[in-house]
Amino acid sequence: MEQQDLKSNIRADFPALNKKILKNDLIYFDTAASAQKPLIVINELSDFYSKHYSNVSRGVHTLCVEATFKYEDARKKIQKFINAKSENEIIFTKNATESINLIAQTYCKKYLKPDDEIILSVMEHHSNLLPWFFLRDNYGIVLKFINIDADGNLDLEHFESLITKKTKLVAVTHLSNVFGTITDNKLVEISRANNLHILLDGCQSISHIKVDVQELDCDFYVFSGHKIYGPSGIGVLYGKEDLLDELPPFLGGGGMINEVSLDGATYASLPNKFEAGTPPLVEAYGLGVAIDYVQNIGMEKIELYEKMLTEYADEKMSKLDFVNTYSKSNKKTSIISFNLDDIHAHEVASFLDVEGIAVRAGHHCCQPLMKILDVVATSRISFGVYNTKSEIDYFVDALVKCKNFFSVK
Amino acid sequence: MSDLLKELYQEIILDHGKTPRNFGECEPFNKSADGHNPLCGDKVHLTLMVDDQGIIKDIKFTGVGCAISIASTSLMTQSLKGKSLDYANSLFQDFSNLITGKGDKLDLIGEEDSLYSLKGVGAFPMRVKCATLSWHAFKSAIND
Repeated sequence: MEQQDLKSNIRADFPALNKKILKNDLIYFDTAASAQKPLIVINELSDFYSKHYSNVSRGVHTLCVEATFKYEDARKKIQKFINAKSENEIIFTKNATESINLIAQTYCKKYLKPDDEIILSVMEHHSNLLPWFFLRDNYGIVLKFINIDADGNLDLEHFESLITKKTKLVAVTHLSNVFGTITDNKLVEISRANNLHILLDGCQSISHIKVDVQELDCDFYVFSGHKIYGPSGIGVLYGKEDLLDELPPFLGGGGMINEVSLDGATYASLPNKFEAGTPPLVEAYGLGVAIDYVQNIGMEKIELYEKMLTEYADEKMSKLDFVNTYSKSNKKTSIISFNLDDIHAHEVASFLDVEGIAVRAGHHCCQPLMKILDVVATSRISFGVYNTKSEIDYFVDALVKCKNFFSVK
Repeated sequence: MSDLLKELYQEIILDHGKTPRNFGECEPFNKSADGHNPLCGDKVHLTLMVDDQGIIKDIKFTGVGCAISIASTSLMTQSLKGKSLDYANSLFQDFSNLITGKGDKLDLIGEEDSLYSLKGVGAFPMRVKCATLSWHAFKSAIND
């Protein structure tokens, strides 16, 4: 599959790709941290602010009507995109981190008591660790961690062995931001068989593979808009309606109430119950535009194309004996973490930067995992719809140059 | 005054808004519900007496709200009194279609032509909830 099969001249949709780093063309291999934006998203944000802007839901004037309709329309688009049953199951937040904090806090209030257990994995992003650490620190909730195999897949046998009568919920990544490995749906089956609630962190999966929350049968699925070509500042929490209904509100403020007196308040129904204060309304709209953009290309095509890029890069990198990659799994996509012999990831990243290649270097917000891999840091390349095989060729040549440069020193 | 506003605030709306019919509480009643629009604070308290055959023998309301919401409630009580619950459900569907501009099947509205006076709400989408508040309260009263 070639890039033109996605959409003709797709790179022209992304103005950031015109940027020169020194005199080199930008090669953006850091989509896993955040995706670049198509012009249509950038223009629509400006158009919203110029022609349709006002606060939402609280007024009767024309601009309020237009802004509200655009905001709610985005919710419908997201509902359809991930195949949620109802719009009420789509809560706008500021990012996936806030979505996970929302669930951790409200779920704990509703369902957990001291010594109850939550299962995470050793390869979680800090955003799917810290919110649960708070519960351990403040409410005596016990946390357990699923091990991974040598290729960065969750060890599901180990998962099963961790489950006890006190286990209430499992919260794990749907697609690892370090390995690119996709979580086997058997995890959900095991969880269902043991009456556990399931939260999937979809930050990486949302833009790389087709997501159908009903098919996945998870209870909660969270993602950030900026990783799927949308604006920063907008996140989504999907939750099954009956569960969200039972959870208490998270933040208090305007828009989430039914009735307020000085003695107390009753709360709005879903989804408003969880959307206190003026929401990131323009950003929500921009996310809807970004979702239109990827849907016009087609998630199936994107999935195939990025898988092809990943295999192509893996193959070429495996031929360099000074490069170590951290997952040989064939169930992965779009993300490759690696190190060069004896060269720190930061040196690699700076060298590549001068060549025009943007890669991530560091612990990827996964310090516990770095400890398990016994590395301080890794470099990471990650792909989006705008990347090409020739960029990978250029990158692999740059790795050789990098190795030679630091070997001489 | 623009045509849109004239259409919205027809004389019958202003009249029912100011002097609502069937205002008060049925005595006795066997069905009731409260409606509340948290966006603007409008409230309606609805009571009904429905007999064994499913005929609405009496329907009354109390509440606070804008002219549209009070008038719509007042007109609703007039059009539902003496009617069957089946009829009421179909009329609600017709009414929703009418004010959201989706109306192609408005057979029953013809019989309750006063409800046509709320058609102008369609041009003000944020006011649709004002006009349907009491209908939703009615729904929850009979589903109780």
